[in-house]
Amino acid sequence: MTVPLSDIWRCFQGVIPSIIATADRNGVPNVTYLSQVHLVDDRHVALSRQFFNKTSRNLDENPAAAAEVMDPVTFQAYRLRLRFLRSERSGPLFQTMAMRIDAIASHTGMTGIFRLIAADVFEVLAAEPVEGFLAEPPADVSAAVSLDGARTELRGLSWVSQRINRATDLDSLLSSVLQALEEYFGFSHSAVLLYDEARQRLTTIASRGFGPTGIGAEVAVGDGLIGTVARERRVLRLPSLEADLRYGRAVRRESAGGHGLLQAEIPLPGLPDAQSVLAIPLTIGAQLVGVITAEDRDPMRFSEWDETYLTVIANQIALGIDRMIARDEAAEGAVSEAESESAAPEPGPEPPPPARSDPRARVEGRASRPPRRLTFYKGDEAIFIDDEYLIRNVPAKILWKVLGESQRTGRTEFSNRELRLDASLGLPAVKDNLESRLILLRHRLEEKCPDLQIVPTGRGRFALRSDAPLELVER
Amino acid sequence: MDRMTDARLQHCLTPGLSILVGTVDAQGTPACCRGIAVASDDNLQTLTVYVPVATSHETIRNVALTRRIAVAASNPADNCSTQLKGTTTDARLAREDEAARVRRALDAFADVLDRVGVARRLTRSVSHWPAFAITMRVEEVFEQTPGPQAGCRLR
Repeated sequence: MTVPLSDIWRCFQGVIPSIIATADRNGVPNVTYLSQVHLVDDRHVALSRQFFNKTSRNLDENPAAAAEVMDPVTFQAYRLRLRFLRSERSGPLFQTMAMRIDAIASHTGMTGIFRLIAADVFEVLAAEPVEGFLAEPPADVSAAVSLDGARTELRGLSWVSQRINRATDLDSLLSSVLQALEEYFGFSHSAVLLYDEARQRLTTIASRGFGPTGIGAEVAVGDGLIGTVARERRVLRLPSLEADLRYGRAVRRESAGGHGLLQAEIPLPGLPDAQSVLAIPLTIGAQLVGVITAEDRDPMRFSEWDETYLTVIANQIALGIDRMIARDEAAEGAVSEAESESAAPEPGPEPPPPARSDPRARVEGRASRPPRRLTFYKGDEAIFIDDEYLIRNVPAKILWKVLGESQRTGRTEFSNRELRLDASLGLPAVKDNLESRLILLRHRLEEKCPDLQIVPTGRGRFALRSDAPLELVER
Repeated sequence: MDRMTDARLQHCLTPGLSILVGTVDAQGTPACCRGIAVASDDNLQTLTVYVPVATSHETIRNVALTRRIAVAASNPADNCSTQLKGTTTDARLAREDEAARVRRALDAFADVLDRVGVARRLTRSVSHWPAFAITMRVEEVFEQTPGPQAGCRLR
C-alpha cells in the first residue's frame, strides 16, 4: 500500500532521524542516519549531503536506495523505496535546505565547516507503512487543521491586523502583536528583533514569555538561527531544534581536532530548552526591517500552516513598523517647522560632553531613595548601573547625552530632533530607528533601574524622570 | 590495535544504542530496518543483531539471498556512530533465553531517548519480540559519527 507523502508530512520534520540504505556496485550495503529528508512533492524527496561519504559514492554507482522515516507523533514507521535522480547545488531547493544547515552550523560555531554540499533528489517509487512496527496500533491523531481552528486563526489575523492599524506608537504595536500571537495562536514565547543596518545587527525590541532578559539581546546578521534568517531574508522553521543541534555538535566535536579556531557557540536566545523554532524575516520588498521569532518546548509546535499565517502577520508587522518610523520622521519635520516659525529656543546641536573634568556628577532625584551610580565606558560605549550592565551603543550615548544635559542645565524635556541633530550619537542619516532605540532604552531602564525613566510626552518628545539621586561617572 | 581504536570498536556494544540494519537483494536493491539489540562474545569477530520478526521480512529474505549485511550502532544523545560490514553466517528465530537481552536493550534505548525528549512509552511501543537473530562475520568496521572522519575504516 503506497501512501501519499503529503499524508505523512510529519515524518519529514526531522524530529526523529530517518535512515537510508544504499549499496555499491558490488552489492555491499551501507546504512546510516540522515540529517534531513526534505519533502519536495508527492513523488520526490531530497536528502541533504554535508560530506562526500559512502552513501553519495554508492548512489553514483547504484541509484537504488531505501529509507525509513518515522512519524514523531504516532511513532509509526514508513519505508520509502527511492531512485536517485540528481544532485542540486544551487536553486530554490538547495537554498531552502542549505539555510537550515547554515543556521545550525552558525549556531554551533561551525560556519563554513558544516555546510550543505548538495541536495540529492530522489524519485519515491513507493511509500509504505511498516506493518507491525508498533506492538499496538498508532494513536489516531488527526493532523488536519479543523475548521474551528482555521476560523480562530482568521479571527486572530483580523485582530492583529486591526491592532497594527490602530497602534499609535511602535511600542504598543509590537506589544499588542505579541499579545495577540499568544491569545489567538498560542505562541507563548515570541520576540521581535529590529535590524540596525549601520551595525549589521539585530536587537530584541519586544518579547513575550522569555522573562525580562530578552529585551536588548543582540545578534549579528549571519550569526546563529536568527542572524541567518536576517541574512537570507527567508523563513526558518526548525521542528527538531534539539536533534539538529545534537547533530551539529557531533560534527563540531569530530571537527575540533583539525580546526583550532572554531568560534564560541552562540547562546540560544529565548527558551533554554526550546525544541522548535519559527523565525520569519520582517521585510518590505528587499529591505530588512527585523525578524520575528517564536519558540516552543514542543518539537512539533510549528507546522507549515503556522509558517504561512505567521508570514502574513510578519508582512503586516513590517509595514506597521515602517509606517511608525515614517510617521515619527514626518512628525519631527512638522515640529521642526513649528519651532522655526515660533522662533522657539532650539537646543544646540553639539552640546558639550558630560563633565569630563569632574567625572563624578550628580543628577538630583528624590532624596529618600538611595543614589544610583551610572558609569559610561567610553571605549565600549556601554553604561553600567551599579556595576550591572544596562545598555550599549547608540541608546547608551543617547542616555548619557540627556543625563549630562540634565545635570548641567536642569532640563528634563528632550526632543527626538535634537538627538538626530547630534552627530556624536552616530545615528544614520536615514532610517535611524531612533524610536526603536528609545523603546529599547525605556525597557532596559524599567528592567534594570526603575528609578530612572524615559517617558514619552508627545510625538517626538520625551522626558527624563529620576526618583533617586544619580551619580554619573565616565571612564 | 591501539587502545583508542579498541574502545571505539567496543562502543557499538554499549547499551542504549540505536541499531540500523542494511541489506541488499540479488538485484542490488538495498533495504533497511531497525534492530533492537546486538551482542558479540568474541571481540567483534562476529556480531549477532536482533531484529523484530514483524518488520524484518525483507531483511531476512535479503540475507538469505546475498548474505551481505551492514549494521550501524549510533548513540542518539551524541550521534557517535559505528558501522560494521560483513557476511551473514546464521539467521534464526531468537531463542526464549535471548528475550531478556532484547528487552534490556530496548529499555536501555528507551532511557537514552527519554533523555533527548522521546517518551519511554513511545519507544517501548515498538515491536521487539519475537525476533530474528542474524549472526554476521565482521569484516570491516567504519567510523560513522557525522563529520570529516565519517567513513574512515577502524578495522
